[in-house]
Amino acid sequence: MSLETGATSGTGTSEAARPDEESESVSTSSLADLDGTSFAYGAVGSLAFLALWQAAAMAVDRTYLLPSPVEVATAFVVELTAPTTFTVPFVGVAVPATRLTANLAQSLLHYLPGLVVGSVLGIALGVGMGWSGRLDDALTPVTRFLRPIPPLAWIVFAIVWIGIGHGGAAFIVGIGAFWINFYNAYAGVEGVETHLKEVAASLGVDDDLTMIRKVILPAATPSIATGIRTSIGQCWMIVVAAELFGAPGVGFQIINAAQNLATDVSVAYMAVISLVFLVSDGLFRRVERRGLAWRA
Amino acid sequence: MAGVSDGDAAASDSSTADDAERTNATMRGSKVVVDDVGKVYESDRQRVEALSGVRFTVNDGEFVCLVGPSGCGKTTLFRTIAGLEAPTSGEIRLDGEPVTGPGTDRGMVFQEYGLFPWRTVRENVAFGLEEQGVRGTERTDRIDEMLQLVGLTDFADAYPKELSGGMKQRVGIARALAVDPEILLADEPFGSVDAQTRDMLHQELLRIWSETEKTVLFVTHDVEEAVKLSDRVVVMAADPGRVREVVTVDLDRPRDRTEPAFGEYVDRVRRLIGE
Repeated sequence: MSLETGATSGTGTSEAARPDEESESVSTSSLADLDGTSFAYGAVGSLAFLALWQAAAMAVDRTYLLPSPVEVATAFVVELTAPTTFTVPFVGVAVPATRLTANLAQSLLHYLPGLVVGSVLGIALGVGMGWSGRLDDALTPVTRFLRPIPPLAWIVFAIVWIGIGHGGAAFIVGIGAFWINFYNAYAGVEGVETHLKEVAASLGVDDDLTMIRKVILPAATPSIATGIRTSIGQCWMIVVAAELFGAPGVGFQIINAAQNLATDVSVAYMAVISLVFLVSDGLFRRVERRGLAWRA
Repeated sequence: MAGVSDGDAAASDSSTADDAERTNATMRGSKVVVDDVGKVYESDRQRVEALSGVRFTVNDGEFVCLVGPSGCGKTTLFRTIAGLEAPTSGEIRLDGEPVTGPGTDRGMVFQEYGLFPWRTVRENVAFGLEEQGVRGTERTDRIDEMLQLVGLTDFADAYPKELSGGMKQRVGIARALAVDPEILLADEPFGSVDAQTRDMLHQELLRIWSETEKTVLFVTHDVEEAVKLSDRVVVMAADPGRVREVVTVDLDRPRDRTEPAFGEYVDRVRRLIGE
């Protein structure tokens, strides 16, 4: 950010910097970020894709081999409106829902607890190992050995310990979130400039807790935020995979519908995953941009 | 007189005589005593003597520059005085007390600024005050005073990324001075800014120095910078890092680079360094 823009008024500087900074830092992966010409091109590309898909589906002429976009959209609307009930866990109360919202709610029951618990534990261990050389030395062999194991492989224990229901699926999601956040938090803490710690020490910080709270965590926040954002996306992939083993939810619906040769319904649920990913990723980016406006 | 220690006498023949003629700083005794400091780095394969028998003093209110060729240990010495590294032998005393670690009695300014990027200018200056438990209007007033001192009042709410290098370093100075340290330690603070900005920062630093009457120890590899700023220049030599000579710069401020006398001091220090 140049100084000239803010030279006349101090408060104006940070305000003026923001719009600029936003357009630079935003990548093109989210629908909401498109504007003007990009939007026009995006619309053309999307329509071309849909037309090609529709043409291919009409040529194949077997819905179960390749459902057309119109059939998928129809299935989506049917799922979105077909009434059913959703039983709130623990409370046991059945609330009215539609098939789509009920399945999505089931998946959120796996996704959210897994994401939150896995992320918190991963960040805690990552910060701990990044901060303490001794803890790092002690646990590095273990983390190196466990890290390459895909979260889904733990389905074995999810089944024997918890059973393949909500708990088992949440467990798998938690493992996925744990590793992503662990490595980002670890790298963030390791990467904190020595100068910052030295300056803090010269300004009176003389205990570990204060140093972690006032220097290490804020300095590592961009890296930790990247971990959270990555896991928000990855955990949707994991939740689908975990549900394929039989936990009810969007992922289970994808395989279940396909087994009945209702691939139009499968694709409709695939679209649901994509939409919730785009929404959750977009929301987090927004939070990130507000919270980390100081980032260079 | 109080400002003369055995370190001075050992290091230079010229410094003692000139002490009496000092015009700018009010001498109130030794602030920092570097007493026979040695620093050895040992690994399996090699032994490096970074500092050997370093002795000198910095008097209260004095501006002292530390110059020398690369590898002469000036940064190691700086870090030792700051308390970031312990000497292998000898001792550093601040107001008579041995230095055992970093502390708020020594404000530090780095070449890389070391600003907290997540804090605004105001919040950066506030950091040390928060640690000292200074609250409310007392804290606000102190921050305002510091921002005024370095001329950054209008940028109080800007983040470091919005500032130029020169402005960042002024924040660094304000933050270091906010906790009212006994001495300001600066390690090549203007090494990352362009020449024009550096000249301006020199004038600012000298103004701040005379306004606050702080003691300053300033590490640089730039001989002209050292002659322009300091009351005395501690010239170091390498292998092992040691004090070659302490040169007293007996010139009125503001100093003009084009003056013959200025050039003579620069030449003299350069010859000592071996440039």
